Amino acid sequence: MAEPAKQIPKPLPEITPVTQPFWDAAAQGKLIMQRCGDCRSWVWCPRPACVECGSNKLEWTQLTGRGEVFAFTVIREVVGRALRGFAKDIPYVTAWVDLEEGPRICSNIVGCPIEKVSIGMAVEVVFENAAQGIFLPKFRPR
Amino acid sequence: MSLRGAAAIVGVGETPVDRFGSKPGEPRKSTAEYLSWAFRLALEDAGLKKKDFDGQGLAAIYTANHSQPFWPEEAANILGVSPAVSLAGGNGGASAVSLLGHAAAMIRSGVVDLIVVLAAAAPFSEHGRSRSEPADTRDFEMPFGVMGPNSKISFVTSRYMHESGMTSDHFGKIAVTARYHATLNPDAYLRKPLTLEEYKSSRMISDPIRLYDCVLPANGGKAYVIASPERAKALRKPPVHLLGWGERNNASAGPRSNADPLVTGVRECGRAAFEMAGASHGDVDFLGLYDDYVPIVMLQIEDLGFCGKNDRKFFERTDFTIKGSLPIQTGGGMINCGQPSTTGGMLHVIEAVRQLRGEGGARQVAGAEVGLVTGLGAVNYGKNFGCTAAAILGSGI
Repeated sequence: MAEPAKQIPKPLPEITPVTQPFWDAAAQGKLIMQRCGDCRSWVWCPRPACVECGSNKLEWTQLTGRGEVFAFTVIREVVGRALRGFAKDIPYVTAWVDLEEGPRICSNIVGCPIEKVSIGMAVEVVFENAAQGIFLPKFRPR
Repeated sequence: MSLRGAAAIVGVGETPVDRFGSKPGEPRKSTAEYLSWAFRLALEDAGLKKKDFDGQGLAAIYTANHSQPFWPEEAANILGVSPAVSLAGGNGGASAVSLLGHAAAMIRSGVVDLIVVLAAAAPFSEHGRSRSEPADTRDFEMPFGVMGPNSKISFVTSRYMHESGMTSDHFGKIAVTARYHATLNPDAYLRKPLTLEEYKSSRMISDPIRLYDCVLPANGGKAYVIASPERAKALRKPPVHLLGWGERNNASAGPRSNADPLVTGVRECGRAAFEMAGASHGDVDFLGLYDDYVPIVMLQIEDLGFCGKNDRKFFERTDFTIKGSLPIQTGGGMINCGQPSTTGGMLHVIEAVRQLRGEGGARQVAGAEVGLVTGLGAVNYGKNFGCTAAAILGSGI
């Protein structure tokens, strides 16, 4: 299939000092999240301090990358100019994946026909290179 | 501090909504024009003059398409008013109901005795304006192609169907009821009757959310004026009293990294509103529930305690029309009357005022004395609404 004349870019994360460790680990194929050194709660999305107890002793911790589909949707229409770059992917699945360790992550289900995706489906992380140095954690059936 | 009886709504104004401005040759109106128009309508309704607001209060709600850090001041400047207190609505679609409480608290404290709450948006006419997103959305949703609230409410709805067994028949009943009320409302935008079959065959936008689950974006402006009970007595329309109010933001049912997305902050703010009002569910004659999506209306009915969680049978047996035991969305809701960005949240407040004054015309709930309205704003990562507010309004105290 011919490439579109002009590739419309997809939005990329803006990497901040708070989120940098996450993206650095993703580039090495590791899924990490913050865990509170005091109350042991998982903290996701990345934060400057624990959103449960307020402690600033957050520790980046590796997860297994295994989880289950908690909820999902099939995207069938683009909404908003910023997301036009996804038009060529439609239909595709975005999902909330509940990771084995507890946190819920929002991502895509890949490597699976959309009609096979279901709530409770066991998935594992796979990293996709989205741009120079940026790897997005996505999930495929396991 | 209880706000019961602290203030009353004395005037409302709503411009017609439209969807013009995005195509060449279509008429275009700016946010400022809708704002000014809504203000004028509210003043006429209340029997007040612009000058009455000098040294009083003005609140303006931030909108997605027209945001800058001092929007309430720009609004005052557009209108030519010099407020003693400027309030900002920063809770998205919840702002209109949130500001009922904020304004009533200012009035009860004696700082001012009159506040106008204003909202306007022209997303079709001012579509070129850039908007900023919360960092979680920008960094951890948009790169995965999450299409804003459509997708996020689809996550919630997919889980809701999984846990409750609700189907498109349940959602369709709500959509058909709201449209029925819109057919009785000359100010509604979508007024053609909708059948359950038409609802169920409407196209999928983001499974399981269909076209007729979604709110209708529009241009428009809305305003209400709230006053001390003493001031309200001297004005031309019967006052609509604030009886109960609550607000709950960034609610999390469970750990913040893994919350129950089927429980909203309406559980807390609704309970607070009932307690403040000293009212029970049976006292409420109608509900105006923030309706950016149909399934969210049902989650709120559950969270307000009109039924249990996942109570399919309740939704099957209850008549939600104006003739039924629990009328909802009496004017058709935002889904049929349009959502001019965060201005949409004003709709249910204004409709409640009309009902409680007996101005509902063909859609009037007979003998309506107490109504409950909600507002919702922002959809947080992995959860549901970031901002929630509820208010109970009454024709008497």
